[in-house]
Amino acid sequence: MYGSYKLKVHNGKLVSVKIIYSERIESVQILGDFFMYPEEAIEVIEKSLIGLGRNSDRTSIADGIKKTSEENRITMVGIDPDSMAEAIFMAMK
Amino acid sequence: MNETWRIIELTENNAYLNMAIDDAILDEIGDGKSQPTIRFYRWLPNAVSIGRFQGMNDEVNIQKCADLNIDVVRRITGGGAVYHDYHGELTYSVIGKEELFPDGIHESYRYICNWIIDGLKSIGINAEFAPINDIIVDGRKISGNAQTRKKGVLLQHGTILYKIDISKMFSVLNISKEKISDKMIKNAEDRVTSVSLQAKSSFNELYEAILNSFKNGKKYEFGSLTTPELEKVREFEKIYRSYEWNFKR
Repeated sequence: MYGSYKLKVHNGKLVSVKIIYSERIESVQILGDFFMYPEEAIEVIEKSLIGLGRNSDRTSIADGIKKTSEENRITMVGIDPDSMAEAIFMAMK
Repeated sequence: MNETWRIIELTENNAYLNMAIDDAILDEIGDGKSQPTIRFYRWLPNAVSIGRFQGMNDEVNIQKCADLNIDVVRRITGGGAVYHDYHGELTYSVIGKEELFPDGIHESYRYICNWIIDGLKSIGINAEFAPINDIIVDGRKISGNAQTRKKGVLLQHGTILYKIDISKMFSVLNISKEKISDKMIKNAEDRVTSVSLQAKSSFNELYEAILNSFKNGKKYEFGSLTTPELEKVREFEKIYRSYEWNFKR
């Protein structure tokens, strides 16, 4: 299945996700006009989401992104793990 | 810090070269071989640049760009899609070691954006910084800016709108309803303004004003790209021209 969702972060930027999934996420792209340092880290976050169950709740998705961000020293501007998680959750609803 | 800045005066280049030049300067400064640099440039032919994380087909009307001979390129920096009209804007880059700038992303945006604000004020435009990365006049955007940090180097580039071709801008950009919805505005045109709408300055007067404010208080010299930078420009231009880079998202 294919899902997508776009949201505007309050006082922040746009985040849009495109997901291919069955029972688990098979591929995901996180897009938008936000900033992330280092930029290449977006692919690290996307890879970390592959295999996540389609029924994962917002909190567990956000916790996973936070963990990946901390491990890879990722800085986000105009976006945060919670808003990413919200978009991912909604894209699979 | 008493570094001598290099100022590269206004040049015009295609989209791929413009992005390759910024990248090459950043790389050489990161290797300790080039000095901090301010450069000014225009885009010839007109171009659309998109942010590092945007989808090309989501943001840009590719067919329309092809019909109008408008280049499309993905930037090294995040942020949004921008239509770069040759007659409609002045673009700049500021590239230097991170220690030349205030700590913190927001503070460094404000620091460099204040150079632009000072320049605009000198021609009678009362502009203000609008976090995260915009400069506005009466609530309308007149300048957009974007940063990256690599190899201990900060690069900020941005555009100052001189004259807007609204119909062309919005024919080549796919502006999403989410982008404008939270700003409580009726249409996309209400989001932007330009120097020509705010003052009687010519393009050259705008450039002189911005050049003066950028060099104010700095030790500087005018210069051009070094031979190693030019070699890297040739290498990086191939990447910025590639389908793999531009359509990777």
